[in-house]
Amino acid sequence: MARMAPPDDEINCIQNGLADDTEAFATLVKQHQKMVLALAFRMTGSLEDAEDLAQETFLRAYRQRDSFRGESKFSTWLCQITVNLSLNWRARENRRSEVHSKWAENVMVEKNAGDEFPDELSRRVQKALDRLPAKQRAAIVLTIYENCSHAEAAKLLNCMEATISWRVFAARQKLKRRLKGISHEQL
Amino acid sequence: MNNSELEAILKKARTPERPEEFFETFPQQIARQLNRAGRPSRHIERRWFPRLAWGLATAICILVAFAIGHWRGQIETKTAASNDILQNVKFVQETLAMFPNQVRAIVRDNHGLNLILSNNGNVPASPPIYVRVCDGENCSSCVTFSGQEVQIAGQKLTVLSDGRGGIILEGKQFVWSNDLPSGMGGHLKIEAKNLNSITL
Repeated sequence: MARMAPPDDEINCIQNGLADDTEAFATLVKQHQKMVLALAFRMTGSLEDAEDLAQETFLRAYRQRDSFRGESKFSTWLCQITVNLSLNWRARENRRSEVHSKWAENVMVEKNAGDEFPDELSRRVQKALDRLPAKQRAAIVLTIYENCSHAEAAKLLNCMEATISWRVFAARQKLKRRLKGISHEQL
Repeated sequence: MNNSELEAILKKARTPERPEEFFETFPQQIARQLNRAGRPSRHIERRWFPRLAWGLATAICILVAFAIGHWRGQIETKTAASNDILQNVKFVQETLAMFPNQVRAIVRDNHGLNLILSNNGNVPASPPIYVRVCDGENCSSCVTFSGQEVQIAGQKLTVLSDGRGGIILEGKQFVWSNDLPSGMGGHLKIEAKNLNSITL
């Protein structure tokens, strides 16, 4: 994900989409929906929740469109909204599962049972990501999948760069242990 | 496993795929929701409108209740004054007839009716004057004549009449006139009138 200011044609497109025209905004949704959905899925591990979060991301983006000043790419701004919504979702989910731990576990199993991963490696990686603490997962998702630098991820997550570096380091150690058995043939 | 190997594994992992129909309908779904929810400014207006309406309704209710209370209070005061036995012409006539030129005042206060008589029957014949004085909730009234001094509602008053309907009450610290009823009476509510229909 490049962090430069958006080019003029993208600015025009965004300006039209963020004007009070919901149909034009739908065009922007079309351009970014796959990225947002994938990001939300990496953060939640559930397709159902990822769809809800993606929907919420776009609705929020439209409602808060005045706060987009064009200093970063539109996709970066969407990315920030998605990750923050996902972190809040995770906090809510954790609180709920504390109260209904057994029930919640069953629900998660049921929810994920229907998710069809394209292959075993994808399933294992997502399972390993799911087990990471939410903030470490956000750091990994942004730096690995969204190609953010540590400084950019720090800006998106509103924390210090050193904090991101530490979270990435800690997350890598855990992921290496959990994904140890994956052979090179599988890659 | 080193960092680049881990990165390769992570990047190889793909997310579950959604059918193309999903991505075709998703943007329309968002647009529909936005249209249904309305624009943010309208959203805020809608959220504020019921609060504003309730606030206004409450304020109007309070004002109406206050107005009714005030109006009833006035009515009650007026009713109390009009129910005063001292305004009963027959009663006053009979009392004055019983003690000719002797009645200085008939006073009605918390203790009931008091007849104040002169010892030597030198009260000049003149039209009786009805006076009512209220100090807050405490009201007293009297029927007296011009030039008489009466004690009423804790006030010592000299009642004067000019014969043309003008009445002046002179207290220790104030002077009240029915030409300027709202002035000079201080915190007291005063009402005075000639009972002209009574002839002695």
